[in-house]
Amino acid sequence: MAPTACFNCKEARAVIIRPKNRHKLCRACFIKIFETEVHETIIGTNLFFPGERIAIGASGGKDSTVLAAVLKTLNERYNYGLDLCLLSIDEGIRGYRDDSLETVKRNAVQYDMPLDILGYSELYGWTMDQVVEQVGKKGNCTYCGVFRRQALDRGAARLGINHVVTGHNADDVAETVMMNLLRGDLPRLSRGTSIVTSSDASDIKRSKPLKYAYEKEIVLYAHHRQLDYFTTECIYSPEAFRGSARTLIKDLEKIRPSSILDIVKSGEDMAALVPAEVRGAGKSKQSGVEEESAGGCGSQNGRTSGGEMAAMEKQLTENDASEALETEIKLPNGARVKPNRGPTGKAVKAQTIKHCERCNYISSQRICKACTLLDGLNRNRPKTAIEVGVGMEDEESSSTLMRQMERAQLSAT
Amino acid sequence: MPAKELNNLCMECKDAEFELTVRKRQLCSLCFKRFIAHKVQSRLSVYRAFGLDGPKTQLLLPVSLGVSSSVLLHILNTDRQHRLDNGRPVGYDFKILVIEPSTVAATGVPFDQNYEALQKNFPMHTISRIPFHSIFDYVPEMEGIMKEYGGSKFIDDSTRSNEERLAAFRASISTPTSRTDVDTVLLTRLIVEFAKKSGCESIIWGDSDSRLAAKALAGVAKGRGASLTWQVSDGMSPWGVRFEYPLRDLYKAELLQYESVCAELSDVVIPDQPPSENVLTKNLSIDELMLRYVQNQGAKYPGVMANVARTANKLNPSASDGAPTCALCASLLGNVKGNSGVTVANQAEDNHSSQFCYGCMRSRPDELC
Repeated sequence: MAPTACFNCKEARAVIIRPKNRHKLCRACFIKIFETEVHETIIGTNLFFPGERIAIGASGGKDSTVLAAVLKTLNERYNYGLDLCLLSIDEGIRGYRDDSLETVKRNAVQYDMPLDILGYSELYGWTMDQVVEQVGKKGNCTYCGVFRRQALDRGAARLGINHVVTGHNADDVAETVMMNLLRGDLPRLSRGTSIVTSSDASDIKRSKPLKYAYEKEIVLYAHHRQLDYFTTECIYSPEAFRGSARTLIKDLEKIRPSSILDIVKSGEDMAALVPAEVRGAGKSKQSGVEEESAGGCGSQNGRTSGGEMAAMEKQLTENDASEALETEIKLPNGARVKPNRGPTGKAVKAQTIKHCERCNYISSQRICKACTLLDGLNRNRPKTAIEVGVGMEDEESSSTLMRQMERAQLSAT
Repeated sequence: MPAKELNNLCMECKDAEFELTVRKRQLCSLCFKRFIAHKVQSRLSVYRAFGLDGPKTQLLLPVSLGVSSSVLLHILNTDRQHRLDNGRPVGYDFKILVIEPSTVAATGVPFDQNYEALQKNFPMHTISRIPFHSIFDYVPEMEGIMKEYGGSKFIDDSTRSNEERLAAFRASISTPTSRTDVDTVLLTRLIVEFAKKSGCESIIWGDSDSRLAAKALAGVAKGRGASLTWQVSDGMSPWGVRFEYPLRDLYKAELLQYESVCAELSDVVIPDQPPSENVLTKNLSIDELMLRYVQNQGAKYPGVMANVARTANKLNPSASDGAPTCALCASLLGNVKGNSGVTVANQAEDNHSSQFCYGCMRSRPDELC
């Protein structure tokens, strides 16, 4: 078969079939188009302002490596005037994070960006390895996810940066939309798709510039630009349940490649249709508090364990059963309802944003999720455990996080 | 042995022996039917209340001769009969519409006997029967819309019959997903126009809860998330006719149980084709995939699946007064108010985007995927 010419430039030989729309492209055109689309997203959503300092949440994986590479390229090409740096979180997973951090360190040199690494042990007094030792392999992703969210915010605060960008891609966002629909989680449905999540409670703004980029295209981009990234998945994640949403999206992509983007579009529209009272403090002010609490790390984001699904099923069945026991009270004949009642007026739960009483982090609860999890961990910590540098046996567990934070801040200044 | 007999009694009336198990309760067929009927009637009670002192509301019930819509018809008919027998007010009237299944499905299912049984078993109602291609008569502008929508892939020949022209249009759409999508849009428009012409204010659809869940998921996957507020929720459709889904609290399996204890329905219902086992995922339509997904997952987690339709039903309809809508499916063009996403901008740019919505653009004949 004769080589096909590139769909875009009609000259060079096509070597790539774009996963998004099956266009056949040459290498140079693919890279150019991919970058231009990210640029259009950035411009179309007014993501940055000139002179803004941006921390790129870097894990060493494909998504954040591509994000760093593209942002550096676009920053120079279009003169965004951004001050970029890399921010990494060391969860303390030996055999995974220590290797991927080496990649990030190389990236910092390759892209000429400053790098800051903040560790869980420094922040919480626990590495993920220690957490897994304590709670087992099942369910540890919850700890990791909750801890990471706060860690990125705190890391950015330490650097005096107000805007963290993460490598979430279109597949991640689509997965979240489907997951939240399956979970019946309207508050998360209303904010899961927005490109920026920021809040009044926290100064740190978060955004995902790769929100419209396909995972497969990110891999292709990394491959064709020969980027240096780390491919091993978290050693704890193979244990994680590969949820319904992910399988569904992979099947949909096989049927109609555009469906990932179509789900994102649907998700954005539906977010605007979520009743205001469910959204919490309003769309622009929502916090994304604990947004990833059920998600865990990037490779696990939006997925949930089979146990959770079964638990929800049980809860719903119980609700149903108790509903059947309710007595219907009929209005007297005089009081009539017109048939044009809308779907409004249905009972919905509201979320309010508060501050954690212990660590002052934003939370919808009195005590934030991280402190609650830490409480549980510290309560069960064997007294004989040998700890280096962190003496917490004599301390009130509740103040641990505050103290660790102070220490982290002091060491930074 | 009286103790043993007691165990077999219906939990509700404690009179008859139980025949069916529904939601962990053992019921006799009479109590079972009453339970199912109650779930439906509570959804339609507003219409009844409204029709007591004013003119009766006219509803349209489209019957596909499948299980769900036939069961819905049976429930409504039984209720009506019961009320008339007892001299109680009925509150609303309904007309029945059958779009000839042979003109919709490619397989050309024979349905004449089923239709005759329908007429015979439900003689009190006005039953109309129209072919799919009568859409050209009911929606005169459809001819132009199809030409515009089909683009270069669809050549219309006005000398041919309506049936052939519709077939040519449907054949121009290449993938199963797009075909099913456009068929649904066309059927909806035909039914809505029929409802308007026959003075019906609302259409009562026979979608079971399982079907609604699959519709919601498929709608989202096809970029039609904004339209869920009338395609899955009870609410006002863009054509000024209300859509109601009174079977939303019932699973498909329960409707099948109902059918099994209804002698009147046995000749009416065309049984579902069993899903073929060895079909590659990529050859399915998105609607089929979602239906299978809901069926498979629903066997294990029925409540979670039911909750999908309930969640979609909580969305607010968009305030789209005067906003331009799609020529084909009447969904909003562009984004819902408040959505600042740029997905629309990523779509192939051509002059058609100005007339058709995001979802319809995806199903267009010359869309590459």
